[in-house]
Amino acid sequence: MAQGIRDKAVIIGMGCTRFGERWDMSSDMLMAEAFEEALADAGIGRDQIGAAWLGSALDDVNVGNSAIPLATALRLPPIPVTRVENMCATGTEALRAATYAVASGAVDIALALGVEKLKDTGFGGLPIRTKGSVNDLWMPYGSAPGTFAQLAGAYAARHGIDAGDLKRAMAHVSWKSHQNGALSEKAHLRKPVSMETILHAPLIADPLGLFDCCGVSDGAAAAIVTTPEIARSLGRDALVSVKSVQVCASNGWEMQYGEWDGSYVRNTRIASARAYEEAGISDPRRDLGLTEVHDCFSITELVAMEDLGLSDPGRAVADVLDGRFDRDGAVPCQVDGGLKCFGHPVGASGLRMAYEVYNQLQGRAGARQLDNIDFGLTHNLGGQPSNSVVAVSVLGRL
Amino acid sequence: MANRSIKSTGAYLPLLRFERKAARAELAWSGLGGNGKGRRAVAGWDEDALTQGVEAAREALAQGAGTVARVVFASTSPAFSDRSQAVLLAEALHLARDVETADLANCRRTAVSALLRALRGPEGDELIAAGERRAAQPGSAAHLTWGDGAAAVVVGDGSGVARLLGAGRVNLDLLDIYTSVSRGLPYAAEERFVRDVMVSEALIPAAQAALAQAGRRGEDVALAVVPETVSGLYAAAARKLGLSAPNVIDRLGAEAGELGTAAPLFGLALALEQAEPGQIVLLAGCGNGCDVLVLEVTAKSDRRSAHRALDEGAPLTSYSRLLSLTGGIDLDWGPRAEVNQKVSASVLARHGREMHGFVGGRDQGGNVQFPKTPMPVNPALAERGVYEDVILRDEPARVVSITADRLNFTPDPPFHFGLVQFGNGARVVMEHCDVEGAAQEVGAPLRMRFRIKAIDRQRQFRSYFWKAAPLARPQLAAKE
Repeated sequence: MAQGIRDKAVIIGMGCTRFGERWDMSSDMLMAEAFEEALADAGIGRDQIGAAWLGSALDDVNVGNSAIPLATALRLPPIPVTRVENMCATGTEALRAATYAVASGAVDIALALGVEKLKDTGFGGLPIRTKGSVNDLWMPYGSAPGTFAQLAGAYAARHGIDAGDLKRAMAHVSWKSHQNGALSEKAHLRKPVSMETILHAPLIADPLGLFDCCGVSDGAAAAIVTTPEIARSLGRDALVSVKSVQVCASNGWEMQYGEWDGSYVRNTRIASARAYEEAGISDPRRDLGLTEVHDCFSITELVAMEDLGLSDPGRAVADVLDGRFDRDGAVPCQVDGGLKCFGHPVGASGLRMAYEVYNQLQGRAGARQLDNIDFGLTHNLGGQPSNSVVAVSVLGRL
Repeated sequence: MANRSIKSTGAYLPLLRFERKAARAELAWSGLGGNGKGRRAVAGWDEDALTQGVEAAREALAQGAGTVARVVFASTSPAFSDRSQAVLLAEALHLARDVETADLANCRRTAVSALLRALRGPEGDELIAAGERRAAQPGSAAHLTWGDGAAAVVVGDGSGVARLLGAGRVNLDLLDIYTSVSRGLPYAAEERFVRDVMVSEALIPAAQAALAQAGRRGEDVALAVVPETVSGLYAAAARKLGLSAPNVIDRLGAEAGELGTAAPLFGLALALEQAEPGQIVLLAGCGNGCDVLVLEVTAKSDRRSAHRALDEGAPLTSYSRLLSLTGGIDLDWGPRAEVNQKVSASVLARHGREMHGFVGGRDQGGNVQFPKTPMPVNPALAERGVYEDVILRDEPARVVSITADRLNFTPDPPFHFGLVQFGNGARVVMEHCDVEGAAQEVGAPLRMRFRIKAIDRQRQFRSYFWKAAPLARPQLAAKE
């Protein structure tokens, strides 16, 4: 029986750039900025890092293949440096790799850094890419909002939810994140937006409007991970521990096998159940002080509330409209603005979520600081509901 | 004469019907808007001569394609001059790899010529399909009077719905219209000249020869199918030939447009769908001369696809959308239209037949999946899959999830796509087509259509696959 990684690795330093349209910075500059903050936070020198993982999801967009861009940007010493890619779960994959390396005893101190430089592509939204030479013969090129919009119709059909009620609940998801994003100095979008504006925005993919979609951004985030023992030897106390990191990937069951009804994300259910078990969380509604979930689109966050066990099946619309996931609600979600407003530089997003939880656990979240936080959850959903990679992590105090 | 007969017919029109009055209004300033009467069928961005031909062939082969020994595809507007459309047609119908194929082009008469050869030809079932998606310059008469569409005929041994009584032919390099390879657009001669010479030099002599061989007179003909490449052509010929029969193709021209190579076969389908046994049908194919066939109806046809194609559709009233769909304007769709859609020849050689034929596989546990994969998706199976071929194109299907995507590039937004569940268990994420207005609801029934998957604009290549369309088409309002 696998022992898991609970409390075998702690985060001693994190950094995160301002996300947004960073016309002033290239990917190496973003990496350097996030790294310098993390290094200063950890209070160590660059030469103390024993291994590093670079998370970059879109290899042909301004970062480049392999881990060499990271090693070069940071002028790392000659250590093992590896690039990981798992679509929108990429940043958390980098954290998982660093955590596993430390937990295994193979490495004393490891770096995880995620970066994406999307705004130089000239696209609004994610750039369009091939799905592979065989898949391109039959698989449609849908946009990201197109793939997630389908979740809305299937969810409404499954639970008999009125389209207008669902639209209002989705709008509330985005409204809440805009409220929160206004409090985040490093967020991409910092203006509160009214419900009326959200509800009447142009359609992007039915029924998702413009404000149901997250920002596509430039940015980088980094974490430095070590063992609790080494952290204490460095003079650190009030340690933030990695309680669990779980990943689950589709094997074609949703897209090719006739059982899934399209109304939920199976991998979120599986990954979160494993993450809760690994972290020792028996009641996530009670134990989680905040969640940073993958709100690439408003419907994604709404359905994730059920898949993470934070709403009963078919109840997310009511819970969202009741403010259960607002900043002052029972289980605050996206207190930093989420993908929606903090932004979504794909490879960095998982680490950005960890950055917020890390700061909240240490009482360093400033105007966004929540009370009584013991555990926080991060959740990434790469791909699309019918063919996804999901990463869930739980961070907490040691 | 060989004991051969027409076994069945099929016809297809694209969903959209452009209201010609919209062009008349839009072009009023120029005087180039035509008479504003009727409609023309307009192919979707993802339809060409071949895809429409496949749909017409499916209608003709409604009882199954298993016996087809020969496939002929005829068109003056094939998308390729060196890539066999007949081979692709055979692959779309998943016919045997050794079926005999032939591509006919360069003349609007070839489908009727092929029908005559088939009726006189060797044993075995022969499928003749004709499709057109012809380019014409905005402002020209052809841009509004032509239409897109297809028709197909199956000829076989023994008795069927009609048999050949006689035929006549005249070859004549009459330039009513011509289209050169280098220009790619038609050039038309003066209509009165065309009508006078076509009738006197080609149509009448060919018809007289056909009637004589059949041992019939003009007044014996119950239904005529004579393409009106210029108005008044049939009336002028009928007077001389003693014909009083209605020209059933008139309805096609008014409601869908002149279909080029496909027009006479479409008209034949219309005629046979309404004819009674014993009636005589005169069929003409015109283009650099005429082929005229005199046919005797021998049985009541059970097909209605030609009438249904004319009755069903969706009106198109936007002249600028017509221009976009017919290549009259080249809109700037932004960077999402710039994606490289190059198709690998080796990938196509390896997978094309299963893609074109929409061939899934039934695994050893009974589950059907598409595409086939080394390891079955069926969770109950843990070993490498062994599959039985399953053709998905005619399987009942329904919407699992769908959206109208307005961000993704398509030449005719929005881009509808989603998960499709087939009745036999297969599940495929598919693009949808023929959706006008709101997207389908979850659970809505679907039918499959053979369409262009993607166009590689850099290399002028196109790939083909199947798309999901609403099961039923709306009824068109009656002709004005």
